Amino acid sequence: MSGLRPQFSPDNTHPAFSYGLNAPQAFAAARAQAAALPVLEEARKRLLCVAMGFLACFLLISGRLFDVMIFNPDAERSSSSSTLPAHVSRADIVDRNGELLATTLQLASLAADPAYVLDEKETLTKLKTVFPDLDVAALSKDMHSGKRFVWVKHSLTPRQQEQVNRLGLPGLSFQNEERRIYPKGGLTAHIIGYNSVDQQGLAGIEHSLNKRLTESQDSLPLSVDIRLQSLMHEALLDGMHKFDAIGGAGLIMDVETGEILALVSLPDFDPNNPTQASDSARFNRATLGAYEMGSTFKIFTISQALEKGVITLADQFDCRKPLKFGRFEIHDFHPENRYLTVPEIFVYSSNIGAAQIIERVDGKDQKKYLGSLGLLDPSPIELSEVTKPLVPDVWRDINKVTIAYGHGLSVSAVQLASAAASVINGGRLVKPTLLRRDHAPTDMPVVLSSNTSAAMRGLMRAVVLDGTGKSAEVKGYLVGGKTGTADKSAGGGYNRKSRLASFIAAYPIHRPRYLVFAMIDEPKGNKGSHGYATGGWVAAPVVAKVIGESAPLLRVAPVDENDPLIMERLRLPGMIGGAKKQAAANAQ
Amino acid sequence: MFSTHAHDPDLHFSEKLRYLPWGFVFVVMLLSLFGVAMLYSAGGASWKPWAATQLYRVIPGLLLMLAIGLVDIRFWYRWSFLLYASALLLLVAVVAIGHTGMGAKRWIRMGIFVLQPSAYMKVVLAMVLAKYFHQLTYEQIGNPLRLFTPAGLVLVPAALILIEPNLGMATLLVLFSAAVFFLAGVRWWIFGLLGVGVPFAAQQAWKHLHDYQKQRLLTFINPEQDPLGSGYNIIQSKIALGSGGLFGKGFGMGTQSQLNFLPEKHTDFIFVVLAEEMGLMGAVLLLVLFFILIAYGYVISLNCRHQFGRLLGLGLTTSFFLYVLTNVAMVTGLIPVVGIPLPLVSYGGSVMLAFYIACGLLLSIAIHKDARLDGSAPQ
Repeated sequence: MSGLRPQFSPDNTHPAFSYGLNAPQAFAAARAQAAALPVLEEARKRLLCVAMGFLACFLLISGRLFDVMIFNPDAERSSSSSTLPAHVSRADIVDRNGELLATTLQLASLAADPAYVLDEKETLTKLKTVFPDLDVAALSKDMHSGKRFVWVKHSLTPRQQEQVNRLGLPGLSFQNEERRIYPKGGLTAHIIGYNSVDQQGLAGIEHSLNKRLTESQDSLPLSVDIRLQSLMHEALLDGMHKFDAIGGAGLIMDVETGEILALVSLPDFDPNNPTQASDSARFNRATLGAYEMGSTFKIFTISQALEKGVITLADQFDCRKPLKFGRFEIHDFHPENRYLTVPEIFVYSSNIGAAQIIERVDGKDQKKYLGSLGLLDPSPIELSEVTKPLVPDVWRDINKVTIAYGHGLSVSAVQLASAAASVINGGRLVKPTLLRRDHAPTDMPVVLSSNTSAAMRGLMRAVVLDGTGKSAEVKGYLVGGKTGTADKSAGGGYNRKSRLASFIAAYPIHRPRYLVFAMIDEPKGNKGSHGYATGGWVAAPVVAKVIGESAPLLRVAPVDENDPLIMERLRLPGMIGGAKKQAAANAQ
Repeated sequence: MFSTHAHDPDLHFSEKLRYLPWGFVFVVMLLSLFGVAMLYSAGGASWKPWAATQLYRVIPGLLLMLAIGLVDIRFWYRWSFLLYASALLLLVAVVAIGHTGMGAKRWIRMGIFVLQPSAYMKVVLAMVLAKYFHQLTYEQIGNPLRLFTPAGLVLVPAALILIEPNLGMATLLVLFSAAVFFLAGVRWWIFGLLGVGVPFAAQQAWKHLHDYQKQRLLTFINPEQDPLGSGYNIIQSKIALGSGGLFGKGFGMGTQSQLNFLPEKHTDFIFVVLAEEMGLMGAVLLLVLFFILIAYGYVISLNCRHQFGRLLGLGLTTSFFLYVLTNVAMVTGLIPVVGIPLPLVSYGGSVMLAFYIACGLLLSIAIHKDARLDGSAPQ
């Protein structure tokens, strides 16, 4: 290295700013060019600066290396035990009534150190008697790979562990391992999620609340009620099979507290064995799927128009023929071909009517209102599998109109449910949660007046009594709801064959407490539904089943539907058909 | 090694070989072989899947380095801007193609591919910056208006790399460019102004962000917040480092790395495999090798008599240094995991190639240290 002496040379082609390190030479040269002297000084100063910086950095990382490698408290230095991940004990997860949903078991795993195995053949033969399914050939290959640590078998039962001990073979050792067990299997898969082999949360609550589960040993109570979860699961599965659908999602929510009592996404998977699951099974359709929800969005269109006072329930709109909007034409799915009042537009789910109503509202106000209901931001629910809603980049008039009947804005089921719950609970914004809350939050922002909220409850009751949601009726529980049937968008257009049929309901609607939502993905019409695959035919019966079975568990007492007090609460002006029916009911 | 006397820039081939700093070539070779050995061990004491492939890259890589070194430095000087433009074009292409396929899987696959132009970019950026400052006098460099062009030369590719997205690489590019600016003689007050102004502006901008935007930025800067992603790597990496101790577990005996607890062990985390198996001694040995390489690079630069070679050499050496520093700081958990490989040691194709090209340019600077370049500022 001695030949590497840096130098300064007077014939330098660039004397302006150079790095002569050889001081006497540099000095001489600099004297020759007096002006260059400060420049030279500066250059050397800078070089020194950079060199010092580098040296400091080298020292810093060397120090860090020493710290991590020699004083590291996290790792043990003995050869085999350090192969195991740091010991993590996780808290249990329970449902709102203390039912166990996830727990951790200590299990032993068997490993071998080939250097200490005396007779390989004997060892393998004897091990085979304890583990009849042991792959001897593969294990033998591993033992000859030159490694000093070979796994023989993971997660032994206590009996197997004892049997191995009795064999008395040298070179074998047990490694304690933790395993997460999910007693409810697929039923809670999309809520709880699952862990990696070294007990780090990979999905669901296990992932989103990983920190809480590892830091505190107290079991974590969820808002979920496993009984409701089970019956939602069953009803949804039933609906899915009946209509030969590819998937489904459903949830039950407390509209006062925002607690989610059940949240199901189908198909699901066994979280005890998550690697076997397909991508579709692992996809949470209730929170991660963003869908154009269709007519259930009319809840928001009409509630906003009522709130702003641009319509009254008695107003009528011309719904005789499809509405032309630029190059689009808006049709009704259940055409009535006449003038419809506002309640009729809702009850018969008229797109033409909804489009005319929203024309009285400013696009900016519509966007603001939907935003205030949480429909334009990801749901705050405690899961990592949460979608961002697909909001149009520019909110044009055509977007305003299509969003009025639920197209052109994609949201998740849990967003829709929270927004609808906020509309019907008296107008207070519901924040959905999977954690048990003992009281309703006191700081729920007001998004709607109680009058508008009451009117919406009346309208939703009318849908079930008289409109598209008749099959959601459960006697005595005063179901109110709204159907939604959306064509799924595919490759830039809409596919009339693949639909999303949904129904959103609350009961008892005169004083709503529980919201039930069911959504069936790509149902096919059958004989029983006369070939229809709409929200009213497909999803409403699922909701009815859930309400009928859950009400007793939730201690909701049946009421007399003709009680004048209740009738008064749900009275609707301008509802021609419904008024007739209610009058008839009164007469009986 | 090489002469301290000025020699004729138009050298014969045999003269070039004589002036070649063979010590430097030796250190590069040693580091490359170190890498192959570690990959052999990381692959479970096997040539497959990495060590053999890496070896097939090391040999042509070293030859390419020598070839580049023997090419006259004036050639590289002349074509700097064209090379820069082509790298920029590649970067634009990658960003454009990356945006058409937003599906998650394609995105990740793109993530491996995008490294290519950005590694190449760092070399040619050093070339254009060196050429630009070569053509200015010290007084001209003092004029802040003269700094807009080089700032653009840095910020455009840095922005492209940032949206790839590759925060680590973009930061590295800006940092090493800052070092070139500094060594070129850009005035102190500009650095002072940036040192105060940038954090202040960032703080002001931060205040005006929405919560979700802040969250997004934080995850971007520190992916460790996501315990599934790189947080896992760091936990495993620290366990491996700690279990290495002073002398390590022996070649091929690293349980963390052998049992696949350690992800990316063949690329960004290769240093950990080394540290676990060869202990602190092995790790320090590797750092010393890098130290020699970097010191060599500086001496080569300082011996050069033209500003172009001097700045190019300092720039390339600084970028080497930043790579090593970032990688080791990353695997020891000092800074977030940003996906920066260990030069010449980590497994990889295009990144390796870029390092050999950089070494080749350093060789060329050493051989042609007395070349007379046109375009330097009149005195």
